[in-house]
Amino acid sequence: MNEISTPELSRRSFIKVAAASSGGLMLTVMLPLGGRAALAAAGTVTAYVSIASDETVTIMAPAPEMGQGTMSTLPQIVAEELCVDWSKVKVAQAPAGASYVNTVTGSQLVGGSMSVRGYFQGMLKAGATARQMLVSAAATQLGTSIANCTVANGIVTNTLNGATVTYGAVAAAAALVPVPSDPVILSSTRGYKLVGTSAPRKDIPSKTNGSAIFGIDVRVPGMLYAAVKHSPVLGGTLASTPAKPSGAIAVVPFKNAVGVVAKDTWTAFKALNQLSVSWTRPATAAAMTDATILATANTLMTSGTPRVAETVGSPTAGLAASATLLNMTYTLPYLAHACLEPLNCTVSVTPTSCEIWAPTQAPGMCVQTAATITGLPASAIKVNTVHMGGGLGRKFEQDYIAQAVTISKAMGKPVKLTWPRSEDFRNDQYRPMAVTKITAGLDTYGNPVYWSNRIVSQSILGQRGWLPSGAVDSQAVDGAVGMPYAINNRLVEWVPHTATVPVGFWRSVGHSINAFAVESAIDEIATKLGVNPLAFRRRLMVGNTRGLAVLDRVAALSNWATTPAAGIARGLAYHESFGSIVAQVVEIQRVAATATTAATVKLLRVSAVIDCGLAVNPDNVAAQIQGAVMQGLSAALWDKIGFNSGVPNVSNFNAYPSLRMRQAPRIDVAVISTPGAAIGGVGEPGVPPAAPALANAYAALTGIRLRSLPMSSIMTNMGGGDD
Amino acid sequence: MISLTINGKSYAADVTADTPLLWVLRDTLGLTGTKYGCGIEVCGACTVWIDGSAEKSCDVSVSEAVGRQITTIEGLSPTGTHAAQLAWIAEQVPQCGYCQSGMLMATAKLLRENSNPSDAAIDSAIGNLCACGTYPRVRAAIHRAAALLAKR
Repeated sequence: MNEISTPELSRRSFIKVAAASSGGLMLTVMLPLGGRAALAAAGTVTAYVSIASDETVTIMAPAPEMGQGTMSTLPQIVAEELCVDWSKVKVAQAPAGASYVNTVTGSQLVGGSMSVRGYFQGMLKAGATARQMLVSAAATQLGTSIANCTVANGIVTNTLNGATVTYGAVAAAAALVPVPSDPVILSSTRGYKLVGTSAPRKDIPSKTNGSAIFGIDVRVPGMLYAAVKHSPVLGGTLASTPAKPSGAIAVVPFKNAVGVVAKDTWTAFKALNQLSVSWTRPATAAAMTDATILATANTLMTSGTPRVAETVGSPTAGLAASATLLNMTYTLPYLAHACLEPLNCTVSVTPTSCEIWAPTQAPGMCVQTAATITGLPASAIKVNTVHMGGGLGRKFEQDYIAQAVTISKAMGKPVKLTWPRSEDFRNDQYRPMAVTKITAGLDTYGNPVYWSNRIVSQSILGQRGWLPSGAVDSQAVDGAVGMPYAINNRLVEWVPHTATVPVGFWRSVGHSINAFAVESAIDEIATKLGVNPLAFRRRLMVGNTRGLAVLDRVAALSNWATTPAAGIARGLAYHESFGSIVAQVVEIQRVAATATTAATVKLLRVSAVIDCGLAVNPDNVAAQIQGAVMQGLSAALWDKIGFNSGVPNVSNFNAYPSLRMRQAPRIDVAVISTPGAAIGGVGEPGVPPAAPALANAYAALTGIRLRSLPMSSIMTNMGGGDD
Repeated sequence: MISLTINGKSYAADVTADTPLLWVLRDTLGLTGTKYGCGIEVCGACTVWIDGSAEKSCDVSVSEAVGRQITTIEGLSPTGTHAAQLAWIAEQVPQCGYCQSGMLMATAKLLRENSNPSDAAIDSAIGNLCACGTYPRVRAAIHRAAALLAKR
């Protein structure tokens, strides 16, 4: 399994490699050998569990927190087996370390909606391990055997005489008990008590009073402040190191950027504006223009060499049996991650050590980044994971980490690097644009018998050198392959786009593109046949018990069977991703023009249902779906990054609107648990259905089919600041 | 040296007069609860009160803040028990949490002037950007806070 944690592999490809192998890695809950006694004296029982003398239980969260809630929900799983009172639990973010590796992905990172899926069994074991060590120490103190002890709420009872001892009283002794290799998982026989409940998130109180420390808030004694300016043309390089502007302490050159160091962030930002930089323009710049990129995509659609991602049945026979063909071409734009917290990182490099405080989805990768730049061994590098003000796939990347390490190394002092907002927008690794053509064939009875889906998009994996020659980028076809509908002759193909725009992993990745095309097309076919879109999907999902249950639930939640009032319409979309099933109904209302405002639509309500197998914390699952719907709708309505000769055309939120309070719909979420089903992801699966459900609602409202995103024309009161 | 009154306390900051209040709060004084999001007054993450008015501190120069009463999220309630803060916890509002200081400062200002705001009043007063999409919970929490205030 060593090969899966090498940085050369993408997180998603190694997720697949690891998930395909049985068993996964063994979770290490041992403390480091050196210092175990000292840690034990402080009540640190294992790498996951510490118990103070006042009975406060501290549980480590191994996965970084970017809003998805796992800083609380992963410890919730540990607490299940530890048998402690949740109200006594505190959570802490684990540093980078071997004990905190996701046992399915083989890396300590958050992405691919893999946190609960990848850590669940390990967290149960971590809790059970600590519990057995504590009970063992308690039994010794009570003068009896483990078999005579019961435990609840952090109190161990000798069943023979009723004597009790608390975890806090035996924590130091417990830490020195031999670590059980195969601890008993109590919940496997008694069921869950804490898992499956909406236990309050532990990170929330600190996010209401300003005390939560995000990456950008880190302060280290003696630190300097840095900011960075990149080549305005993507792919451009620094021709020569510019002179140090007034106010700056130093200028640090990078291949594609210049860093300036100053006494505070504002002074660094001002100094950036005073830099006189000469950039070398890349040969690829001219082609990085919207019209060229779209024209190239259209050419590739008709004359490119497709790579076959999936063949089901006989597409040739299906095509031959088709009496009617529907051709539908969908176009989606590049998108920015636009995390509200801009990229930043604080680093202290000395000749013998490197300490990093980073808002990062991938603390393990930060160690490798720093080792490469500093030449220090991994053992000399400490990564402190702090809150991310959103991650969304952007804070998995290492560019800003590498810059901060380089600047601190050059200065020999701690440095906090903060990207100005404009740099964050203009130097993203964008969600790829895509053109996708779906051809559906209906036989003489109107049965869909043929489906062809050809996608043209840039390769995220290929751009990083992670795609074998001639292979299909799994990221590009996720959500297009494995379609849940029983159209029995299908062909899914991908043509790599040749554009050189930097592309990356945006919340739900390929699913965000392909669900829009597939779920719009399914609706278009239903419309063509005059069949209710819900009934049409149900007909094509015979035997898919869980999928049908999700559809039926969303139908009930949205009052699908009732006819909406005049001027109101509903649209449905269904999508399976990251091991979960989600269906959404978007309900919109036509708002007529007035003397001062243009005609628009109003988002009335979204009904959403998720079946994620097991919902560890149902309220947090609901929150993730609510947020995913908002993000999916915002992007569908308004968002697009354009390019002109390699220069991105968005540099701040005023040109990249999101829903605000006054436009946000009511969102009702139902969370379905399916006992015995594999656990599904939660952070991403809510995004893909939002855009097609909106497009389908708009088509139902107006008869107009919108096949190109964003749909800027339909909702004219777009977001901005409060005015 | 510039003198400021923040959360009822006096501070001195050795910064140039054009420095935005946001960066003085964050870098010079260590009051990092107020966040940098856009720098151009469109996201609301840097919202503080200046003489009771909710303002975007990214576009207020520190010299304009001299002699005025500044309140940041750290000063909203000494114990973190402002009705809005309690309601935020009860409704489990924050996800990443980055926008929430600004969201809470805008909310507390609204509640000060309108102890039982309608949905329309909330729409009009709360323009802050939340990339996590917590708006439905923010709305529920504002109504909950209003109910808490009515009981006090």
